[in-house]
Amino acid sequence: MNKLENAVYEMNLLEEQAGGCGRLNSLPALFKVIITVWYILLTVSFHKYDIFGLLGMGIYPLVLFLIYEIPFRQCIKRIKIILPFLLLAGIANPLLDKNILGSLGNRQVSGGVVSMATLMLKGLFTVLAGYLLIVSTSIEKICGALRKFHMPSILVTMILLIYRYISLLLKETNRVMQAYALRAPGQKGVGFKAWGSLAGLLLLRSMDRAENVYESMCLRGFDGSRGNSFQYTAEQKAKPADYIWLLLWGTGLFSLRIVPLLTIVGSLLVKG
Amino acid sequence: MREKMSHIHITLSNVTFGYEKNQKILKDITLSFGENERVGIIGANGAGKSTLLKLLVGLYTDFEGSIRVEEIPVEKKMLSRIREKIGYVFQDSDSQLFMSTVYDDVAFAPRNYGFSEEEVERRVNEALEAVHISYLRDRHTYKLSGGEKKLASIATILSMTPDIILMDEPSVALDPKNRRNLIQILNGFGHLKIIASHDLDFIMDTCSRVILINHGRVIKDGPAGEILTDKELLESNGLELPLRFTGRESLFSS
Repeated sequence: MNKLENAVYEMNLLEEQAGGCGRLNSLPALFKVIITVWYILLTVSFHKYDIFGLLGMGIYPLVLFLIYEIPFRQCIKRIKIILPFLLLAGIANPLLDKNILGSLGNRQVSGGVVSMATLMLKGLFTVLAGYLLIVSTSIEKICGALRKFHMPSILVTMILLIYRYISLLLKETNRVMQAYALRAPGQKGVGFKAWGSLAGLLLLRSMDRAENVYESMCLRGFDGSRGNSFQYTAEQKAKPADYIWLLLWGTGLFSLRIVPLLTIVGSLLVKG
Repeated sequence: MREKMSHIHITLSNVTFGYEKNQKILKDITLSFGENERVGIIGANGAGKSTLLKLLVGLYTDFEGSIRVEEIPVEKKMLSRIREKIGYVFQDSDSQLFMSTVYDDVAFAPRNYGFSEEEVERRVNEALEAVHISYLRDRHTYKLSGGEKKLASIATILSMTPDIILMDEPSVALDPKNRRNLIQILNGFGHLKIIASHDLDFIMDTCSRVILINHGRVIKDGPAGEILTDKELLESNGLELPLRFTGRESLFSS
């Protein structure tokens, strides 16, 4: 498989996993979206030097990966493209903030290093939380949950269609690239002289396809101007156990935010 | 499927249409289609078959002349009512299947028309049953074969129990077995069917009336058996006799 085919394959696989019947999948999408947003808000609210408090928030993704048996290696493989950006996010902090906060062994640790690590962790945790949501919830269900939050229908529809458009664009690109490669033996990639026409062709073709999909939607009663015209999927009815899940994680995450769990455990160990 | 309404008909009067002002694709078309008719629209590539079908469902409304579907004029404010009555199956099934599962795709129209989830489920099950693909209900659409996609596409329109079915090149990309299956399913429907295709054997198997179009004009309108066996007429309009009438030897001659 080439890179584009692999990307399409991965998207399809992700969608299949999201539509599966695992325990995390069967939870109402609305509850998962609420907890994910809640988790992200709490995570990013930590102070830039509060790395030990932040580490406690790692419990949420850790527990979900373990309890619901979501392959962690596969997750890392999928998010690896984002990891360098997380590293780059706070890379200048050690240069800008040289204020010494403490020492690790016999090495002094500056505020810049701590804030860089905090920023990276925040990024990693939020990406993991987002991943756990999309690997267990189909895009239609996420969109349905967003509508429950009264997000404008037009915006939610755009999210759904852009998601669909990505795979459509990938498939078209793959077709064009294969046709090009078959008539350009020995070339690595696309010669720069063909870039313009290839990109233009790709745009026109994918617009044509998108137009057809839109026509097909219109013929089946879709009308973007009507607020509630597009229902994304069947409504999921929440069971009592789902409410307990929501309550436990809601309060549990808030407790992790206000109680420095790792510091307490650490001091208990030191005392012990 | 629900009982068909009586007096189902479509009338086109002096319809002229072009994507560009100076280039008319359809010229002065006057036609009518009656209840339970099985009509094939044939013509060479670019003759205007697909455009004609798209006009009937109001995908383009800036045409000259008039089109009426069950006495409802095809104009922007009436489109919702018209599209409830007409099911349109695209040539490319991928255009029609954009949700992740077959169920969600077939449920798309009933949900848009505001039916309850119980009613949506009933309609989806009936539509899938009508094309014998109930087993594909929860399958992801990207995993379907070409034949399955075509049947799923048909199910997406049947869930609205249309009175009229329009199909654009339905036999394209189907293997012989799926083609035969599709013919049997289509022949089992009591709807008014209008099928645009240049697969004349397919038209022969599914339609009793044929309309031949060339350069945007209706050249001939009559019984399928008469038009599809008229070699001279077909050839002068960029078509050939259906394969079953050509004789095997002609395939190997010259």
